Amino acid sequence: MSARITKIEYVYPEKKISNDDLKTMFPDYDFRNFEKKVGIINRYWVEEKETALDLAVKACEKLFADIDRDSIDFILYCTQSPEYYLPTTACILQNRLGLLKNIGAFDFNLGCSGYTYGLSIAKSLISANQAKNVLIVTAETYSKYIHPLDRTNRAIFGDAATATLVSYSNDEHLGNFLFGTDGSGYDKLIVKNGGSKHKYDPEASDKIYGTNNIYSENHLYMNGPEVFNFTNDVIPNFTRDVLKDNGLGIVDVDQFIFHQANSFMLDFMRKKIGIPKLNFYNNLSDGGNTVSSTIPIALKNYSQCLDNIQTVVLVGFGVGLSWSGGVININHKL
Amino acid sequence: MKKIEFIQAIKNELEIESDLTETTNLSELEEWDSLSWMVLNAYVSNTFEVSLTAEDYKRITTVESVVEIIGYEKFD
Repeated sequence: MSARITKIEYVYPEKKISNDDLKTMFPDYDFRNFEKKVGIINRYWVEEKETALDLAVKACEKLFADIDRDSIDFILYCTQSPEYYLPTTACILQNRLGLLKNIGAFDFNLGCSGYTYGLSIAKSLISANQAKNVLIVTAETYSKYIHPLDRTNRAIFGDAATATLVSYSNDEHLGNFLFGTDGSGYDKLIVKNGGSKHKYDPEASDKIYGTNNIYSENHLYMNGPEVFNFTNDVIPNFTRDVLKDNGLGIVDVDQFIFHQANSFMLDFMRKKIGIPKLNFYNNLSDGGNTVSSTIPIALKNYSQCLDNIQTVVLVGFGVGLSWSGGVININHKL
Repeated sequence: MKKIEFIQAIKNELEIESDLTETTNLSELEEWDSLSWMVLNAYVSNTFEVSLTAEDYKRITTVESVVEIIGYEKFD
C-alpha cells in the first residue's frame, strides 16, 4: 500500500511581533542587518495561557473543513512543547478533536527534523497496512522557553502548528527517507533545567552569550556558531545521499525545501550543494523559524503555484542533533 | 591569497565602513555581532575550507587573529 500527502493546513498565533516591535524591546540593536541576513520580518508568539496544543487543535480543525475527521486512524504528534510531561498530548488531541477511539496516537519529541521523520513514519504505517489516514501534527511554542532578554533567539524563533493528512494511495508519492543522529551535539540547542536531569531552578542566574544576549539554564540555549557549522558540515553531503538513495540527480528535482532556519545559511548551503536558486525554497520572512513547522508551511505555500506533478526533496535538521530527509511527489495544491 | 586581499575581502563581506588593517580589533567594531561571525565563517569556509568554531569566535580580536586562526600557511 502506497502513500501520499493529501492536505496541509497551518496556523500562527494571533500576536504578531515585527522587527519594529522588537526594536522597541531592544532599542540598542539595529534589526535591519538581521532582516537582510536572517530573512525574518515577523514572528508570532502565543499569549501566556495559550499552548502548542491549542494551536494544533486550530490547525486540525482547518484541515477538517474538507476532510472527514472520522477517516483519521492514526495521530503522529511532533512537539517539544507538550501539554504535560504525561499524559501523551496526542491522546488529549484525539479527545479535543472528537476523533474516533479505535485509533493510534503518540507524541514524538523532535524539533527541526520532526516533519520529515513524521512523513517517514506515516509512510511506514500505511505501507505496513497499520493505518490508512495518518494525521501528522507539528506544534511548537519555543517562545515560552526563550528568556525575555535573549534578543537573538526572540528574533529567530516563532510559534506555529501544522496539520498534514497522509493517506493511502495506489501510486507511491513518498520516496525513500534517510536519517542522521549525533547526540554529542545534545547541548548545542537545549533547555537544560526542568527535565529529569536538572530540576527547574528558581535561583538560576542570568548568563550572557554572544553580543549581550541573556539566558539562564531554565531557558533555551542555542550555540549559533556550532549549529551553523554542524549544518554546513553535514547537510550538503546528506542531501546528496538522499538524492542517490532515490536514484535522482539535482536536475531531476523541481524544488528543494529545507528546514527554514536562516536565509543566509540556506543560501550558503544551496551554493555549496550546487542547486539553482529557482529550485531552492528560501522564505521565512513571515513566521520565522517555527521548528518542525517550517517544512510543512513551506510545502503548502510552494504547492499553491503547482500545475503539474513535481518532485520535491525535503530535509530537516537541528536540535538533537538530528536530521532526516526524503523525496516526495506532489501533484495538487496541498 | 595574499593577506592584503583577505583584509579587503572581509571589509566587503562584513560591510565595514571604516578602514581595516591587520591590527584593527574586529570585536570592537560597531558592525561586529553574531551575524558578522556567520558571514565571516561562510567566507572563510568557502575560501579556505576552514570552519571557525564557537571557541574561535571567542578568540577573535584583531584581523591578524583571524589570519592566525585560519592558519598562516593558507596565505601567500
